[in-house]
Amino acid sequence: MMDRGRIRRSWIAAIAFGSFVMGFHGPVAAFPVDGDQTALPAKTELNEDALDKPREVFRSEAGAGGKSHMINLGNLAFSSPGILGSVARQAGMSCSTCHVNGASNAKFFIPKMSTRPGNFDTTGPLFNPKADNFVLDPVRIPSLRGARYLAPYGHDGRTASLRDFVRNVIVGEFAGPEPSPEIVDAIVAYINDIDFLPNPSLGPAGHLAGQVSDAERRGEALFVKPFPHDPRLSCAGCHVPSAAFVDHQQHDVGSGGLFKTPTLRNADFNAPYFHDGRYDSYDQVVAHFDRVFDLGLSAQDRRDLIAYLTAVGDGVQPYERDGAGAVIKEVNDFTLVLGTAISAKDTTIIALAVDTIGSELRELTERYPDRKNTNVAGGGPERALARTALKDLVLTLRRIEMAATEGRFSEAAADYKNYRYLMVAAVPAVLAGAAPWSLFNPEVHDAHYAALRQVLQAKRTAR
Amino acid sequence: MMDQRCFNSGLSARFLNVGLLLVALLLGAQRADAATLDEVAERYRPYMIEGIGQALAGARNLRASVAAKDLAGAKKAWLSARAGWERSEVFTAGFVPELDAQIDAWPNADTGFHAIEAKLFGAGRTDVDSETDALVDHLSDLHGKLHHMPLTAQGLLDGTTRLVYEVGESKADGGESRISGTSLDDMRNNVAGIRFAYRTIFAEALASADRKLADAVNGRIGELERLVAVADLQHVDIPKLRRASEELVVALQGASTRLGLQRPTLEAASR
Repeated sequence: MMDRGRIRRSWIAAIAFGSFVMGFHGPVAAFPVDGDQTALPAKTELNEDALDKPREVFRSEAGAGGKSHMINLGNLAFSSPGILGSVARQAGMSCSTCHVNGASNAKFFIPKMSTRPGNFDTTGPLFNPKADNFVLDPVRIPSLRGARYLAPYGHDGRTASLRDFVRNVIVGEFAGPEPSPEIVDAIVAYINDIDFLPNPSLGPAGHLAGQVSDAERRGEALFVKPFPHDPRLSCAGCHVPSAAFVDHQQHDVGSGGLFKTPTLRNADFNAPYFHDGRYDSYDQVVAHFDRVFDLGLSAQDRRDLIAYLTAVGDGVQPYERDGAGAVIKEVNDFTLVLGTAISAKDTTIIALAVDTIGSELRELTERYPDRKNTNVAGGGPERALARTALKDLVLTLRRIEMAATEGRFSEAAADYKNYRYLMVAAVPAVLAGAAPWSLFNPEVHDAHYAALRQVLQAKRTAR
Repeated sequence: MMDQRCFNSGLSARFLNVGLLLVALLLGAQRADAATLDEVAERYRPYMIEGIGQALAGARNLRASVAAKDLAGAKKAWLSARAGWERSEVFTAGFVPELDAQIDAWPNADTGFHAIEAKLFGAGRTDVDSETDALVDHLSDLHGKLHHMPLTAQGLLDGTTRLVYEVGESKADGGESRISGTSLDDMRNNVAGIRFAYRTIFAEALASADRKLADAVNGRIGELERLVAVADLQHVDIPKLRRASEELVVALQGASTRLGLQRPTLEAASR
């Protein structure tokens, strides 16, 4: 039985969750996607269990400002499987599955839709059979950092407008229903707010600044130097340092067609490289250009260019540790959208927000394993309290949606107020109390997923 | 299967119905009486004994098949045992939490259903003698307790509500019994257990106290049934299932007040 003394009763009183609780049953969802019954093929890897997530930096938060309603709504829709087609919805996939926190997902892999981790066939058979072009031609999942500087869109630069591009991803690639203009505008606002990670190595006009090594200096000189057999060309001719290292043009660089110039900013974290993700490293990229354009680079030249690219492609704190705090922060942004929608009596957005936030909270619940989980010892009451708190929030959201659907907006507003109150202090405290026994603890995390892999491996071996 | 009609007919049930009606009228507020509901909860006991009985019989057959190194027979017996267990999850976590945790430990348990599942269905091995012995012992222990275990309407409403919430959890990863591929059967058996517990214990009292709410609960259980009545797990509409599950929990939370019970807990409770 539980140790009642270990629970902070003040929390219980504060959040008024009613009677004392013990753990209950429910497997941790979302990873690894395996088995024969899932919406996605066996051996799919969505990398959703990663403990380190790309850090997201917003332009609107750079100064004293904050994210607008439109940006928050866009972020919400970006995280919602509900705007995509049925296969993605079934699998719980959203835009943010591939573009984690607006960056990329180097481990993402779906058999028959990817040829390697980090790429994906946008004209494959799985999500929208009507868009299938009957050839496996995946493209690299790009980071969206700095996307507002990077038009045109698509690896081949086929779409001038980000708005058109987003709409096509939803409807064309993922067979979603026609989105409302407001939703598309919001997603565009969100993407346009995702900034590059700051890079102190870059000064004005994209020149290296600060403490620059000799190798980086030599690399920078090579970068702007005309190609020996075609002086009209240079690396910097296309990757224009003063323009986010792009020229908004498509070029044939011997990779099988015309593709737009990718940015080099934050590119250290954007592998794999080239439109199809064929290369893992700058070393391979430099070797490609050396070969195709007959640059005659020495081993030293290559090392210098790589040093330069690495300096240009850097960014401050590219990853941050996942935890309840990060999830709650994002969910609170989404919750602001819900509040606005309740005031506006906008039942469509209310439903979208409730479904999306509820999914996030259900996933968060499974980060606190129940008492049947064989890999977690201790913290039973704390875990149960965390699970109860999160389930109660999910149900509060559902009550809001049910009330709004029936036109009882004052009830919805009252429940919303209650929800906000719980999310400000009580729930974060409860989750912090259970953190040592959660999957946010690397030891618990690794034990849990190692056990899952072991069980699934047994099945694969037997096949 | 037991004949469910025996619970819904007969003199004692009619007396209970009349009693419930009188209580409702006397209270004026149209709330059912918790003590009376505890008596009604007794109707659930034969179902509980039968469900765990099936699980136990299946586990014993499993032991025999394992001893004979009969993999196909062992799998069949496991599935039968599992079905009995899943129908019973309305009460297991709340009333016998320790046994529940041992019998249904996950993911890489030493004993219990999932330990055996991994070897039988995953590795195609029948060397699960000790695991099966332990499962038979646990289920036998549980079966023995069921005749005298105190049942309360509150506990069964708690268990029903928690199971409803759980049915709405994501199955995108293949669900709980992903190795055997029986996650959809788990869900169907869960929903059958939910339907039976509600109909047997709460339906009449709630209909007397609040017809509209009773209709809403009935309708949403029906929605859950429809959503799991599909060919395979891929065809379960996961977002709709989640919505239906949450709406039913909200309705059952509302029902608790009308029934004179406390609001159901969302994790297995120790009241």
